[in-house]
Amino acid sequence: MERAEMYKELTVLFRKVFNNDTLEVTDELTANDVENWDSLSHMLLINEVEEKYSVKFRLKELNKMRNVGDMVDILLTKV
Amino acid sequence: MFQNYILQPIVNAIESFSQRNAFFIDEKHYTYSELGESISKIRKELKSINTPSKNIGLITNDDIETYASILALWMEGFAYVPIHPGHPRNRGEEIIKQADVSWIVDSSDKSFFDSINTIKTKDLEFSSLNLELSEIDDRELAYILFTSGSTGAPKGVTITRKNVGAFLKSFWDIGFEIDENDRCLQCFDLTFDVSVQSFLVPLTKGACMYTIPHDRIKYSYASELLEEQALTFGAMAPSMVRFLKPYFDEIDLPELRYNILTAEASPLSLIDEWSKCIPNAKIFDLYGPTEATIYCTHNLYTREGENKELNGMFCIGKPMDGVYAIICDEEGKILPKNKKGELCVAGDQVTLGYWRNPEKNESSFFTTEYNNEQMRFYKTGDACYIDDQGDLMLSGRLDYQVKIQGYRIELGEIECHVRDVLEGSNAVAVVYQNSFGTDEIAMFIENEEPNNEAVVKEYLKTKLPIYMIPSKFVFVSKFPINTNGKTDRLELKKQLSDGLY
Repeated sequence: MERAEMYKELTVLFRKVFNNDTLEVTDELTANDVENWDSLSHMLLINEVEEKYSVKFRLKELNKMRNVGDMVDILLTKV
Repeated sequence: MFQNYILQPIVNAIESFSQRNAFFIDEKHYTYSELGESISKIRKELKSINTPSKNIGLITNDDIETYASILALWMEGFAYVPIHPGHPRNRGEEIIKQADVSWIVDSSDKSFFDSINTIKTKDLEFSSLNLELSEIDDRELAYILFTSGSTGAPKGVTITRKNVGAFLKSFWDIGFEIDENDRCLQCFDLTFDVSVQSFLVPLTKGACMYTIPHDRIKYSYASELLEEQALTFGAMAPSMVRFLKPYFDEIDLPELRYNILTAEASPLSLIDEWSKCIPNAKIFDLYGPTEATIYCTHNLYTREGENKELNGMFCIGKPMDGVYAIICDEEGKILPKNKKGELCVAGDQVTLGYWRNPEKNESSFFTTEYNNEQMRFYKTGDACYIDDQGDLMLSGRLDYQVKIQGYRIELGEIECHVRDVLEGSNAVAVVYQNSFGTDEIAMFIENEEPNNEAVVKEYLKTKLPIYMIPSKFVFVSKFPINTNGKTDRLELKKQLSDGLY
């Protein structure tokens, strides 16, 4: 899957989880940039992403995700 | 007491272990020597200020200056009033106003509140070490923590130096053995009192403490610290453990010696599974309201044996040394064993009261005879009974206080703000479990104007921390009424769990 295509799909997911229709999902986006990105919404986000792509993240992978770009890198190795 | 149990041990640690690490913050170590220097430069500045109030605001960043500020304030006889930089400004301003704060200690690059006198700790230069301790009355305040208040504004719990000293003494009496070789987790916001335990345990023993940067996801970063830094001691909220549950098969933490579960009820089935990830740890449930200084009861989890539970929640055990626990009925009469009533606690850890809140003080505290002595008790609002072995069995709340991810929330405070913005529309907040078994807040509003959700949400964001913002808003034309003529919260909850919304 292409990175650009994945971003389009992730944008839909992120906007749903964070309840924010204008959220722009970029490589550099971190939990710091989204006001309601806490443990609870993070867990919900991970779950949505896992379901969408039929993948399962390892805890070690979760810990490596400093920003969305990291998440996409890991995701691309799995789909 | 504060000197003997808190300040002197910290000074001893700084002097004895100067080249050992005191902190691991955002991937960087800081030594006890650096802590001593940071405390000294802040003390010097504190001595020069002129403040009518001993309550000093503290912006709770995640850095060595913030922790050093707490210790410097204590050494100079001040109390700190934590203000979280991530919470709405409005809330910070409300706290500053309520607590008579006229000076703030802030390690941010740019001052958080421009209009208030601020000591910018990052700009201070170290000149000479000053770890001298002078006699300060134990009745002086150590901190004021503002917790959610059901009438719409947060309320300040005042904790004295004696309260904190009595707490740490009783905490060690439980049997924790910590020394300079330990590595301790500090994963709680400084606006929440378990943070005080989490920094006092390492700093009074010369151990190293590991914090969670504000921009990291707590449960994920904490698990990384626990594993990669081989932490040996840590207090956590059970909800954090629950977030880690899908990954239990990957987690193996043989170095962890003590794990405290606190801030909310601990599901026994969760502990049973979690215990396999931390095979060598003694697991404790420690219960306590902020008003009784951090923890007031303790219970050690038995591996390979029976553990008491009520409704699936692990029993909170027995009172800590120096804490007296009784169960009372609505008239304040002490109930016998096995009778359910309100848990009330007394002892040196109990607060002198809420800051300038005579009404709440009148309703939350009472004096009664116990053990042939007149004792002043705090009414916790927790429903409880004492079993035949003297164990406290907690069974929920008597009011509308809830715990979300370990945060203490009065549903009434959220409802108040909704009523304010919608000019009196009826509003009822309830807690429901999402499909992962995690608690969330839903807000029911008796008002059918369709554009209101965005309006309410935006307003709440300016008033409340993010963990208090409901995740679901339901607008209905009319609330169901129960047989007492009141809004039927149970019915609303049922409609939600039936998937009606």
